[in-house]
Amino acid sequence: MENKKLRIALAGNPNSGKTTLFNKLTGSNQFVGNWPGVTVEKKEGRLIVDKEVILTDLPGIYSLSPYTLEEVVARNYLIEEKPDAILNIVDATNLERNLYLTTQLTELGIPVVIALNMMDLVKKSGDSIHVKELSRQLGCRIVEISALKGDGVKEAATAAIEAAKNGKTIPQHSFSGPVEHALAHIEEVTVHNLPEERQRWYAIKLFERDEKVLEGLQITDEVKAHIENDIAAAEKELDDDAESIITNERYIYIGQMLKGIYKKKGTGQLTVSDKIDKIVTNRILALPIFVVVMFLVYALSMGTSIADGGVSIGTFLTDWTNDVLGGAWLTDGSRAILEGWGVAPWLVGLISDGIFAGVGAVLGFVPQMLVLFLMLCLLEDCGYMARIAFIMDRIFRRFGLSGKSFIPMLVATGCGIPGVMASRTIENERDRRMTVTTTTFMPCGAKMPIIGLIAGALFGGSTWVATSAYFIGVAAIVISGIMLKKTKMFAGDPAPFVMELPAYHLPAWGNVLRGTWERGWSFIKRAGTVIVISSIIIWFLTSFGTVNGRFGMVDDLYEDEEVVTDEYIAVVADRMGVPEDEVEPMDDSILARVAQPVSIVFKPLGFGDWKPTAATVTGLVAKEEVVANFGIMYAYDDQDGEEELEENGDQIWDRVSEDFDSFSGGHGKLAAYAFMIFNLLCAPCFAAMGAIKREMNSGKWTMFAIGYQCCFAWVIAFIVWQVGRLFAGGVNVIGLLLALVLLALIVWQLLKPYKEAQKLSVH
Amino acid sequence: MMPLILAETGEENIIRRVGGSPEMKKHLEDLGFVAGGDVTVMNAIGGNLIVKIKGTRVAISREMAAKIMV
Repeated sequence: MENKKLRIALAGNPNSGKTTLFNKLTGSNQFVGNWPGVTVEKKEGRLIVDKEVILTDLPGIYSLSPYTLEEVVARNYLIEEKPDAILNIVDATNLERNLYLTTQLTELGIPVVIALNMMDLVKKSGDSIHVKELSRQLGCRIVEISALKGDGVKEAATAAIEAAKNGKTIPQHSFSGPVEHALAHIEEVTVHNLPEERQRWYAIKLFERDEKVLEGLQITDEVKAHIENDIAAAEKELDDDAESIITNERYIYIGQMLKGIYKKKGTGQLTVSDKIDKIVTNRILALPIFVVVMFLVYALSMGTSIADGGVSIGTFLTDWTNDVLGGAWLTDGSRAILEGWGVAPWLVGLISDGIFAGVGAVLGFVPQMLVLFLMLCLLEDCGYMARIAFIMDRIFRRFGLSGKSFIPMLVATGCGIPGVMASRTIENERDRRMTVTTTTFMPCGAKMPIIGLIAGALFGGSTWVATSAYFIGVAAIVISGIMLKKTKMFAGDPAPFVMELPAYHLPAWGNVLRGTWERGWSFIKRAGTVIVISSIIIWFLTSFGTVNGRFGMVDDLYEDEEVVTDEYIAVVADRMGVPEDEVEPMDDSILARVAQPVSIVFKPLGFGDWKPTAATVTGLVAKEEVVANFGIMYAYDDQDGEEELEENGDQIWDRVSEDFDSFSGGHGKLAAYAFMIFNLLCAPCFAAMGAIKREMNSGKWTMFAIGYQCCFAWVIAFIVWQVGRLFAGGVNVIGLLLALVLLALIVWQLLKPYKEAQKLSVH
Repeated sequence: MMPLILAETGEENIIRRVGGSPEMKKHLEDLGFVAGGDVTVMNAIGGNLIVKIKGTRVAISREMAAKIMV
């Protein structure tokens, strides 16, 4: 009959099971989290029961006030897009709080159907809810469901569709005399020309002096003054401000209504969740438990492989992928097959050394990532993640961040992109910007190979290199937090911490696996696209170049005595600053030519050679590229022993080590360490920079964040290299003095007294 | 009247007044911290509290707890 597509909005409190219900209703893939704000993006899906009906998942909200981003998003959608019905999911175990939102939704003039979730839990605890009476009192239909088990979900969808076609919800609750009096006046003078069913909502919002609604309605000053009299009169009579009056009366109304409807059996006993909290968030035990949990997470995902007597499944699988799948099968296998087919050597090089070596390097740590994400999703789903934020809050507050900043940093140890995105849960704009700017200092999964390379090539595989990398990441965040806090832009206390702690529950495996896979898949996808393309480009840039005026593959051209004359060798040696017998074909590659001038930037950091420069710059595409590049650049050095090369990378390590020693004047370790620090701290990959831009939502702030990261990385690497040579020998006096000045500036900024900002900017 | 930070753990209190900036006050009220409502401190770490309010558990920092009078 009707051609118009029906639209239904799904609304409800955070942690009410909304995302689970959304998935059950639409079958779409989505992640369910426990901290408020995960679903700040608008998600839509078609109902399984009727493909013509579109369901919009609104962010989880407590209220329709104009103070948080999620609430503004939700209410703008409800007011401006006018969906045909609202499906309001209500957590039956937590009726009072959930109905607070329901009373507001019923005022919008949109038909409301309530999906009463977790009724099974209520019954199990011995409580009872008189659903029929509740439905009558609220004036809307109620369907009992269990989102997790899928019970009643179809019925809820059908009821919502029916309501959308010909339903009507009239708010049944009323406020006290003085408020109703004022509301009647406001309706009369301001909103009588609006559709009848929404007049009440506007009147209440005007009574609350909601600025966003006031702006939208364009009310004249005269009328404003008129209704202000009414509001003031009610405020005087009830001795409170208008907003609080409305809030209070809503709660009072709900409390009274529930008296006859909600029968509680258990009285004031500690729930299981409370008992767990007594231990897990205990004053003394909280931190040790947290440390143990974190240790387990990293031991399982990135620790010692089970093959070597450890517990890490992730490392075991990664080793296998690297040695067998990436090394033996992909690279060597493809080479053998291609050579067997008689494919041109350059093409074999492109496919085996360019594409497969590059992609293999990325795929290698996918298993570790998946295990790490699985652990983090588990922590999130069972409710512990919210507690971590609470436990860490007091500590983080000391250097100007909120406990909520901890979650992004934790996620960023897997990948910076979801890490930056996780910063959305931080309500305060200042805190959020600070977190977005500093989160990617954490060594993410893609930086692990860099650490592994430096540790393996120059430090004999010492584990303290990796440990120090985490330490540097955390220290960079702490130092930046304290320093930035004392600038004008970030001054002000971190926003006070308030966060609902969902009851602990056994993880829903469907949600956990979906979340893990979604995060892991974005990695694999990148390996298939960005990395393949950039591997090809890098291979081309290192293989081709102009030798003595002739363009071609540099290896071939160097075999031509007529092209590579002795005089020409001398010219190249002079340009690259190396002895004549160390001139290599690759010195004439396009990449070397381009990177050589840029390498001046890194001279003061100890690694001003074209190879680390090229690796660092391409690392901005993707951090995996740094190691992939080393692989390509150092593999090509060797023209005789290509077969031995792929074994375990030891040979590349030797060459990397030699090269770092030679261009740093014998301080290879120090230079390599400075190189590692710079790459850990500088701007992250393109994808993460994109995430920063999305979260900052401002070109200026994005530039600031990336600029700050790069400058900070440069300064720290500079200090390490210059001061380090004090101990390693070969001090550069000017460099050392400059480094000490910079160090003093940082210390001064850290210690200088802190000035409180006058204005709290709430976004 | 006393701020919530001084309340005994495990003891039920009635909220008398909620202070703070309008935004903070509204946010607290939306979460259930309204005058006349019951609140129980479940746990405290370094001044940060976990409280039971309207049947749920909410973590609040010391700064906020200081603005809630019971």
